[in-house]
Amino acid sequence: MNLSLSLIDFAALSPLLILLGGALSLLLLESFAEKTSKQFSFVLTLITIAAALYAGFLAPVSANPLLTPWIKFDPLARIFTVFFLSIGFGTALLSSSFFERFEATEGEYYFLLLSSLFGLILIGSSADFLTLFLGLETLSIALYVLCGYMKKWHISHEAAIKYFLLGSLGAALLLYGIALIYGAIGTTRLDALLSGYKSLATKEGTALFFSGIALVTLGLAFKAAIVPFHVWAPDVYEGAPTPITAFMAVGTKVGAFAALVRVFMEALPQFNPLWNEGMALLAFPTLIYANIVALRQLQLRRFFAYSGISHAGFLLLPFVAGTPDALSALLFYLVIYAIATLGSFAVLALLDERSEGVMLKDLYGLFRRSPLLAAALTLCLFTLAGIPPTAGFFAKFYVFKVAFQAGYYALVVVALLTTILSAYYYLRIVGVMFSEAPAKEAAPERSFPAALVGLISVTSIIAISLYPTPLLNLLALSNK
Amino acid sequence: MPNLTLLFTVPFIASLLAFIIPAESKRNLKRIAVGLSLIPLLILLYGQQHWLGSQVAYSWFPALSIQFHLKVDALSLFFLYLTALIVPISILAVRSEFLNYPNTFYGLVLLLQGLLIGFFTARDIVLFTIFYEAMLFPLYFIITIWGKDERRSAAFKFLIYMIAGSALMVAAVLALYFVEGAGTFNLDVLTSIASSSPHAKWLLAIFLLAFAVKTPLFPFHAWLPDAYYQAPTAGTILLSGLLSKAGIYGILRIGIELFPTLMREWGPFLMGFAIAGVFYGGFAAWRQRDYKRLIAYSSFSHVNFILVGLFVWNETAHSGAILQALNHGVTITALFLVAGWLEERLGTTTLGEVSGLAKFMPQLCWLTLFFVLSSVALPGLNNFIGELLIFFGLFLQNPWVAAFLGLSVILSVIYSLRFMERVYFDEPSLYQDSWVDIKGKELMIALPLIAVILWIGIYPAPILNQIKPAAEKMITIATTTERQ
Repeated sequence: MNLSLSLIDFAALSPLLILLGGALSLLLLESFAEKTSKQFSFVLTLITIAAALYAGFLAPVSANPLLTPWIKFDPLARIFTVFFLSIGFGTALLSSSFFERFEATEGEYYFLLLSSLFGLILIGSSADFLTLFLGLETLSIALYVLCGYMKKWHISHEAAIKYFLLGSLGAALLLYGIALIYGAIGTTRLDALLSGYKSLATKEGTALFFSGIALVTLGLAFKAAIVPFHVWAPDVYEGAPTPITAFMAVGTKVGAFAALVRVFMEALPQFNPLWNEGMALLAFPTLIYANIVALRQLQLRRFFAYSGISHAGFLLLPFVAGTPDALSALLFYLVIYAIATLGSFAVLALLDERSEGVMLKDLYGLFRRSPLLAAALTLCLFTLAGIPPTAGFFAKFYVFKVAFQAGYYALVVVALLTTILSAYYYLRIVGVMFSEAPAKEAAPERSFPAALVGLISVTSIIAISLYPTPLLNLLALSNK
Repeated sequence: MPNLTLLFTVPFIASLLAFIIPAESKRNLKRIAVGLSLIPLLILLYGQQHWLGSQVAYSWFPALSIQFHLKVDALSLFFLYLTALIVPISILAVRSEFLNYPNTFYGLVLLLQGLLIGFFTARDIVLFTIFYEAMLFPLYFIITIWGKDERRSAAFKFLIYMIAGSALMVAAVLALYFVEGAGTFNLDVLTSIASSSPHAKWLLAIFLLAFAVKTPLFPFHAWLPDAYYQAPTAGTILLSGLLSKAGIYGILRIGIELFPTLMREWGPFLMGFAIAGVFYGGFAAWRQRDYKRLIAYSSFSHVNFILVGLFVWNETAHSGAILQALNHGVTITALFLVAGWLEERLGTTTLGEVSGLAKFMPQLCWLTLFFVLSSVALPGLNNFIGELLIFFGLFLQNPWVAAFLGLSVILSVIYSLRFMERVYFDEPSLYQDSWVDIKGKELMIALPLIAVILWIGIYPAPILNQIKPAAEKMITIATTTERQ
């Protein structure tokens, strides 16, 4: 057995290594040269992420037995890596706009951001429960700090503590579940799960395994903010700095679903209809509850928490269905959701002035103040609401088709009915923007990085809406 | 063969142009917008009969087997002409001096034109759904940005009703896809197998609900008075002239073509609603104290009359209904147009504040009277032909119902002439400076509408020949499906 790592293995790992290197050098810079750090940490972050992205596209596949039991190098891992890095890139840009307005040290902020990206990528390419857990914790610990990063903000304190306590609980549940599964089948390797499950002979073993699966599902549902494990999300989203809220709404959400994909779509596809039924039972309340509560939100960060929960409900549909198409449908939905959410947050970043973030009333007459911003936010909200002909419609349609094919008619009907509610609250925001009587006369701030994120989001939404085939082909790779 | 891709893309390009052309002079911008909106009409006229059967098909979303498939048949062509005619007139109805954000306005109207052209030609049911939903949004913005005082709530109500009405359509579309042996969204294929779905009743109910809200069929009209009233004149024209036709087209295309047996079975039941709508709209119009609302309710009444024609199961009534869809589009556009001119001059739409305007604005008065007479189906004008055909078809099926429905014509005469009398013919009020009669320019705008009204009223044969194949095709589809 070859026990050394060759150059190819390092190259295969390069996105992770670049992120790690970038993160550590940021931390060193901040410790020894605070002034330089203030100037260059953002640029350095962008360069790191861009380099990692480049490496993510080109990285070769390693077959080294030292790595493969832990980390996967399949096309899906590559898709996730690129996806997470793009999200990180967008978040970094939004953060830079944020720091133009709010005073804070930046060096360790970007270090934490890069660490959480590292964790995300680890989740997306995990081949073992332990790597998965490691990734989730790297992500979460960095996020606990980031949530409370604005130390002078009152609302941040509650958010950070709440996130930390409840997040630890979620992690504990997950870990306990992993332990139970290990107890049942004697391994934590994901590729051995199915065979382990099939060879379970005793009743006790099965019970152990199912308890483990239940706890793992619960732990991940917690991270993905699925009702009834969502209670942390609204408060945390409300209290965190706006770019971090964007990162949680997109990055953490996708990360949690990546973990669910790795465990339940790849390792245990259709292992037991009971699990699918269970997911359906989670999907119903998630769809109904989140969409109803979102109707009443006035603070937009909090609003996006509920909007994110309701999207998690739609994202559960492919898991419920579990058909071969499900993965493509899920990924397509995730990409569209991420683009539209980041685009919305880019607009919010340009309007952000206080610690409470942007309130609904701040958007009154936005169309009059800045038609471009209003149009961009409208497009993003339409996409989130799944209104044709935006790509959001296709994303929902795809997910519905998958669920319908698997015979979950009631779920599809409920999901469609909740889209009426979601249309209501997304369009209410649009209506506010197009009203007369602006909240204030001044034009919104100009900030290039956030504007860039908005521009990229809007163009990609339009491009995908008109011609979705390339993206679909890209995402369909993972099926082969 | 004429180029359907061109016809479809031109309005979108025009819309983009309208958005980005710098608005230095509002009048020039309006001229450009009118010019752009006329292009589809020219393309249509250039192609004439050769349009029938022209199509485009691209694979659009292969993973979902959605095709970008457009095709023109007799029915589509008919509605295409209507779209191409009404949209320029709606732009002409705008007073450019008083229009805020002119670029956005023209851009949205042209966008709507493109979406409607797509809708009336879509042969893939997902594409059909997409256009059906998407056309709401330009209208929503038109109402919410340029409407009257209560515009925001009216626009919002309109949108939410529409979305709620059609929310389940996606489920129905998926159900059709998974019908035994389908595996496609192609409408031509679905025509022959949709009825065999075990859930056909549910599917038809879902589709009918969506179309009933849009048209609107009684009692799904709660959004209508506010939306019609609060919208700017151009928006009201688009709503009444074109959006209601989208619902009618939907019933023809999906309801009757896909589920003929069920539609025939449900016809009498649905007709009950439609007849109730005719009378409800008529009585409501009678009681209005506002002429814009009065016309809105009269439009509602007439649209339900068209639906009666659709729910009668014979070719004559269907021909009448299709013709009447065109007639209603033209007449109601004309009525809202003259009402808009009147509103500009009076500054109000309340009935009874001023009267005897015939003395000060004779031309506007006679023009309005002409359109009102067209609306009450005076022999020799367009509506007479359409309503006669519907009555005739209904009479074949049930003479008593036909006789009862005949009373609605009297009702429409009552409320229309009441409007004329209150505004134009009573004791003249004191003259005000803003009461200037319409000039040649406005007459020019009305001229094409007058021409169409007279043409259909006096010599309807060419148009009826156009409609015949469409109506026949539908009955043929129905009989072949029944035989299977």
